[in-house]
Amino acid sequence: MTTELDGLTGTELAVSMIDVSKSYKHFKLRNIHFSVERGTVAGLIGPNGAGKSTTMRILMGLVQPDTGTVSALGKTISSREAAAKQDIGYFSDDMRLYKPESIGWHMQFVRSLYPRWDDTYATQLLKRFGLIDEQVVKGLSHGQRVKAMLLLIFARRPKLLILDEPTNGLDPVAKHEILTELMRVVEDDSRTILYSSHNTQDVEQIRDSITFIDRGQVIASSNRDEFLEKWKRIKLHAPEEWSAPVVEGLRLESRHRNLHVLSFSQFSDQVPARLHEPGVVIEAVEPMTLEEIFVSSVMRGREGSQS
Amino acid sequence: MNLQAIRILFLKDLFLSRRQLFAYFAAGMAASALVCIPNTTLSFVGFILVITVAIAAGIHLIGTLMLAETTDQTRLFVMSLPISLLDYSISKISVVLTTYLIPWTAMFACLVIAMFVGDKQGNVAVTSAIFFFLLCSFMLQLVTAVVSESVGWTICVMVGGNVCLNVLLMKLHADEEVTEVVKSNVLSWPSIVLQIIGIELLVIAVALATAFLFQTRKQDLV
Repeated sequence: MTTELDGLTGTELAVSMIDVSKSYKHFKLRNIHFSVERGTVAGLIGPNGAGKSTTMRILMGLVQPDTGTVSALGKTISSREAAAKQDIGYFSDDMRLYKPESIGWHMQFVRSLYPRWDDTYATQLLKRFGLIDEQVVKGLSHGQRVKAMLLLIFARRPKLLILDEPTNGLDPVAKHEILTELMRVVEDDSRTILYSSHNTQDVEQIRDSITFIDRGQVIASSNRDEFLEKWKRIKLHAPEEWSAPVVEGLRLESRHRNLHVLSFSQFSDQVPARLHEPGVVIEAVEPMTLEEIFVSSVMRGREGSQS
Repeated sequence: MNLQAIRILFLKDLFLSRRQLFAYFAAGMAASALVCIPNTTLSFVGFILVITVAIAAGIHLIGTLMLAETTDQTRLFVMSLPISLLDYSISKISVVLTTYLIPWTAMFACLVIAMFVGDKQGNVAVTSAIFFFLLCSFMLQLVTAVVSESVGWTICVMVGGNVCLNVLLMKLHADEEVTEVVKSNVLSWPSIVLQIIGIELLVIAVALATAFLFQTRKQDLV
């Protein structure tokens, strides 16, 4: 996922959002600007209430943005258009199936709207997910319900998957089953997946690029390896009154007596040299986990908006 | 507009409402049969039941087919499918109207036939005014459900409709021309009844257009 469109054309992009804004009474999505290249897996990470679901609903044409343009698979997205949705599989944790009907009934219903519905694959998924087509939705557990919905999406063979917190509230086994199936889907290079979560561990295994979102704004967006490469933590001993020099991307994470913990979002080999001052001893330069990078990004964004 | 998608959605909702539809159809037929019994008390009870079935069917069908899609969060599932807002709106309003019109038409037709068979054609005009009022009240509930998506407001409109139905019955009862026609066995249309039916048809048409306009102009579907 890229915040800049990087000169990519509409045909190379699976998703494109340009300056998209949406205002509600107590929440604003502000100038969302990002794209996802075809055949990639992108993660949209943000705390609860950050705007992930709203962003994804705008992408599906379920919510009309106040400003900006949205396109998916080269087609403009709006509630008035249905053509683009033929190739998009959308899952939301808020989505529900019809309680009195069976999984088989839902399969028939969805199949009637999708000429590309794959019966063989649907049967395989039923077995892999441990579902029975006669099972009535009302009696399904949360995990079974999520699996049934993903089955209905995967069996259409969509070119773009938009998955809004699919593993939310699942037990580790169900989560593993779903992520394993998602890995199979990822093997098809022509598929694009946009996956949102508030949990960095969920997306660690399956995405190429990550965008962090908080309070309705994109706060950081990069390739996973770039994130891990550029973000470092430095622990150093320095007098209590020591203040860090002005270095781009530096944030003081914590201070306990003379132990200072700093994080850098633009780490380079020159950074430790810039910290060398009389009385300053660098104890360690450590890599940061994705979760630590995410939390630090959110805190930086919030501090920035307060100052 | 995708006619195939509209047909699939329509049939889906018709299937989902099959139990209610059958129940209200059966209840309506039973109530209509009671009206036809040549016993004043049973006939009166039957007539009250006919009105009750028509009111209950309306609010129940609007609740299960329209409002429940929001509260049960099934609309998010439906709208994630390749369906446009126009397709969804046409199918939804059509199916709600159709499912209501099935028991409504059955009861109305049953009563009119019974009046002709029982040589009580004088009741046809008043019965028509009452049935079109019930349809009118249903349409107002439908437009309220579309605009507000609120069970509470829809129930308020239903209650208002019931109060107005009593006013209508009192007005018809107080009219001399209507009273004479009801007592006779001749099919006749008093002017006040024609005026009422005219207003009812106008309200039905305006409500239908309003419901459709509001539904198709919604910005956010979930």
